[in-house]
Amino acid sequence: MGLISGTLLSFNEDLLYTIPIMLLIIPALNSLIGDLSTVLVSRLTTHLYIGTIPPKIQKSERLIEDFYGLIITLLLSLASLLFLGYLIGIISGIRIVNPLLMILIIVATILLIFFIMFLTLFIGAIFLFKRGKDPNNFLIPFVTSLADFLTPFFLILFIIIFI
Amino acid sequence: MENQDSKSKIVKETFPSELISIIGDILAGILLSLLILPFNSFPVLILMVPALLSLRGNLSGPFIARTSRDLIIGDFSKRTWIENVLATYTLSIFTAIFIGIFSIILNFAFFKLFILPTVHFILIPIISIVLTLLISIPCSTGLNYLAFKKGLNPNNIVNPVMTAIDDFSTVFFFLLTIIMLGVP
Repeated sequence: MGLISGTLLSFNEDLLYTIPIMLLIIPALNSLIGDLSTVLVSRLTTHLYIGTIPPKIQKSERLIEDFYGLIITLLLSLASLLFLGYLIGIISGIRIVNPLLMILIIVATILLIFFIMFLTLFIGAIFLFKRGKDPNNFLIPFVTSLADFLTPFFLILFIIIFI
Repeated sequence: MENQDSKSKIVKETFPSELISIIGDILAGILLSLLILPFNSFPVLILMVPALLSLRGNLSGPFIARTSRDLIIGDFSKRTWIENVLATYTLSIFTAIFIGIFSIILNFAFFKLFILPTVHFILIPIISIVLTLLISIPCSTGLNYLAFKKGLNPNNIVNPVMTAIDDFSTVFFFLLTIIMLGVP
């Protein structure tokens, strides 16, 4: 997945030279979605081990609480990331193209990926746990790779469509 | 610990560490956009960067999660930690070799940029990831232990903080490796 993501970036090398702010924020965006998904997997695994979430695909109070906790963290972190990224971009003289539209594209990308991740990881954790596997070992590598692929993919896709 | 976390506790514990992660990753982004972008071999190098960042997350993520799970359920010991470290190193080296091999194949198939000697495709990921883990493993173990001792949930804190340290180290050691190997 990482190599596919690299190929995607390498194919769109002109885009990176034209919108260099993308290269500045891509590692932070990747890790933001990766971190929160990893926190989610770790929490889900511990919940399943200690029995606070039943190994069934159903809504529970604990799951909803985790969802809201993580989405609030995601939005606060995204706001900080955009503020810091653009501030550092301005200070270091990195060219910023169409800042408002870029912000909208980044927010839409991250929210879309978070929803995809939340559903996939919840179902994946239940599935693995029921088969006696540790969801940490399977889902965390999957999460990182998926985040590293989906973030540049949707970002490049939305930039090509809207800018 | 986990079953008592309200959404405000999750935000309070995760957001500050996520902020540190963002700062570390923006520093990694600066290295990428200001120091690696000008390299002539950038189109080939950028092939490997996301894979290395993924590899770092794929290996140190489960390492951190297993350590914090062991601490929470009371299974943490010197033996489990050493097994965890050895597994992480072995997997890293094998995966780094695969990253190198697949980068060579992708370059031959799609880009056909013969700026880098073939052996560099293998050496760059191995050296970068081994150097990164030298920083990552002691830091994450220490942080996990400290968070647990202070009554905080390591699951909420350690991963985001370590992402900052790891992603910055990965890009930094990647840069150091390509400088050491004299990549154009």
